Amino acid sequence: MDFSDILASSIHDIKNSLGLILNDLDELIANPANHLANPRQASLLQHEAQRANSNLIQLLNLYKLGTAELVARIAEQNLDEFLDEVVAENQALCQALNLDLSATSDPDLIGYFDTDLIHGVLNSTIGNARRYARERILLSAETVDDYLVIRVEDDGSGFPGKLPQWLPDDNEPARNLTDPTSDPSRTRLGLYFAARIAQMHKTPERTGRIRLANGHTLTGGCFELWLP
Amino acid sequence: MAEEFSQKQCLVIDDFSDMRAAIRSILRSLGVNHIDQARDGNDAIAQMAKKRFDVVLCDYNLGPGKDGQQVLEEARHRQLIGIDCIFIMVTAENTREMVMSAAEYAPDSYLSKPFTKELLKNRLDKLFERKAHLAPVNKALVAKDYGTAIGELDQLIAASPKNLADLLKLKTEICLAANRYDEAMTVYEQVLAAREIAWARLGMGKVLYLKKHYAKAQEMFRQLIALDPNLIAASDWLARTQTALQQFAEAEETVRSAVKLSPRGLKRQQMLGELALSNGNSQEAEIAFGHAVTLAKHSVLNHPSLFANLARSKSSNNKHVEALKVIGEIGKVFSNTPEATFYKATATATVKQQQGDREGALEALQTAEAAIARFGEASHATLSLEMVKTYAQLGEQDKAAALLQKAIANNHDDEEFLMNVVQACREAGVEYDTETAIREIQQDVVKTNNLGVRLIKQGEFDAALELLHEAAEDMPGNKTINLNAAKASIMKMEKLGTTNEDIQLVRRYIGRVHALAPNDWRLNDVISRLRTLAPKV
Repeated sequence: MDFSDILASSIHDIKNSLGLILNDLDELIANPANHLANPRQASLLQHEAQRANSNLIQLLNLYKLGTAELVARIAEQNLDEFLDEVVAENQALCQALNLDLSATSDPDLIGYFDTDLIHGVLNSTIGNARRYARERILLSAETVDDYLVIRVEDDGSGFPGKLPQWLPDDNEPARNLTDPTSDPSRTRLGLYFAARIAQMHKTPERTGRIRLANGHTLTGGCFELWLP
Repeated sequence: MAEEFSQKQCLVIDDFSDMRAAIRSILRSLGVNHIDQARDGNDAIAQMAKKRFDVVLCDYNLGPGKDGQQVLEEARHRQLIGIDCIFIMVTAENTREMVMSAAEYAPDSYLSKPFTKELLKNRLDKLFERKAHLAPVNKALVAKDYGTAIGELDQLIAASPKNLADLLKLKTEICLAANRYDEAMTVYEQVLAAREIAWARLGMGKVLYLKKHYAKAQEMFRQLIALDPNLIAASDWLARTQTALQQFAEAEETVRSAVKLSPRGLKRQQMLGELALSNGNSQEAEIAFGHAVTLAKHSVLNHPSLFANLARSKSSNNKHVEALKVIGEIGKVFSNTPEATFYKATATATVKQQQGDREGALEALQTAEAAIARFGEASHATLSLEMVKTYAQLGEQDKAAALLQKAIANNHDDEEFLMNVVQACREAGVEYDTETAIREIQQDVVKTNNLGVRLIKQGEFDAALELLHEAAEDMPGNKTINLNAAKASIMKMEKLGTTNEDIQLVRRYIGRVHALAPNDWRLNDVISRLRTLAPKV
């Protein structure tokens, strides 16, 4: 067993503990018999624990990417249903933080992707958006140039730097992605992971990518997954 | 929705008590009142045997003993859960690939840990809705009435619902089970016209295989593997196709690489062992059967033949003492079922023969003969084949040939079994021109069958009956002949009225086929026609 294996199995263990903490927190908050002086504190705790949890899941997936164990299982999926499920999973926490989380898409829109992996990417993107959004987070999906585009937008102050930015960028190799110090405000590791997952979705002609922009329909940051 | 969940019976299976408590509290918060818990696979199976559950939430990783996949396998295999039961496999990201590569017995849904109560509610709502939606289809499937199932499904498909892709996939699966290959092909073509989708391409390959276009099927499976080497089902089918083409060395190579990708598949290890043994690679065979025996330990699919083959491989590698020890395990694991007794005897005969203990070998052979006789006329083809191998290995070539002839006649239209015959004869060194024999016997049986069918069509029922009856008594294990004999009687009765004697005869034919292959796609039609004629019996 080399060090990265040990690391991976510890992360797995920590993640399971966090999962139990999250469940207990959930019950603690949901139980009306508990009186918290500041309920928002509990929600923030939940928010951070969930972010840590998504990050750990991503780390484990990155580890599997490294050992070539991670495989995308592409299947047909109705976007309306898929986004509905992503919203359901993240709704309670957003409400507790006074954020309005919603999704829009054509009810008949169909996409082809690994639901598990894309679900993970969206969870952590929403986790990030929770930190920056003022009131709203919006998920949406549509077809653009034959790509399925899934967006996560917020009404915060938006992404810094030169935009829009494609990741991976053909002109600019992944250098800035692997350097976590290049942008302290947004976790670059999350973006690196998202880009790698997007890249695992490909057809003979086209490969998935992500794109960062500001001010799509909401005023803040807009994270886009482009899947062939 | 809360009332909807309140009456549901739920079972939570996890080896970790904190996790069980967490899931239970999530279920409670959704309004579920009836929650049972199990801490391991055996506990879970025991509970499912006692009570019908609507929802089973099962963790894949259950510590020592059965894993979640084996729990699902056993529950479905022993029909402890009905087709309406929702089985959700709870996975962690480190078990994802393991779970996904299990080809047969897929759960209704996967949930990755940790999940929130909202997600579970959303998923359960959807699954209940789907099950309700599919209820008429499932009802027909339980009755093995494939025609009605496809008809019901077509109605659902016509409304093009959100889960259209799932419905189309289900339709192709039913079409394949009902031998309606062309209909399945149409669906695959329709799906592939919109986009390249692995399951549809794989399905096309399956149809090509089933229609015996082996070369084309092989090319299709190869292409699929080239596109995605992790698509284990494509490797499995490629190996079957290569076996059909008698490319045994290539088939072994294909299975070997599939086993590397997914070492936990029992059937795959078994297939590797069988191919290796008949290709003369007894070292490889020993390893593969060793894995198979270990994997099967907690599985409902555990079988004495795995031990017999492990012993045979060990003996080929001159490890006779170890081989006899493995044979000794059979009695302990399977107590003394007739099958266990039989395999114990055949394996013992082979090992003793290889050890040079002729007397011991012959004694074991007698035990095997007595054991197989207890199965009566409907003894399964695989048992006969095992017996053939044993005869050949003990030098009893005449007995081997006679039994082989019978086995071929009983299964003249089962290509996969006939390929097993060829393989077994290579392995055991049967001195018999298997392929010529197969061809000649096939021609004979087909001739009789066709003549019978023609006589039925011409309305010469008595002549048809006489011919087919004689053939059926000659080949009691031949499903096609017995079904056609049943059909001849039924058509005669439909025209000329029923007699008690004819009804008994038909039931006898149907009983034979049912004992051999309860899922045979042709059975439903014959049974329902008999019911129309004789509703009371």
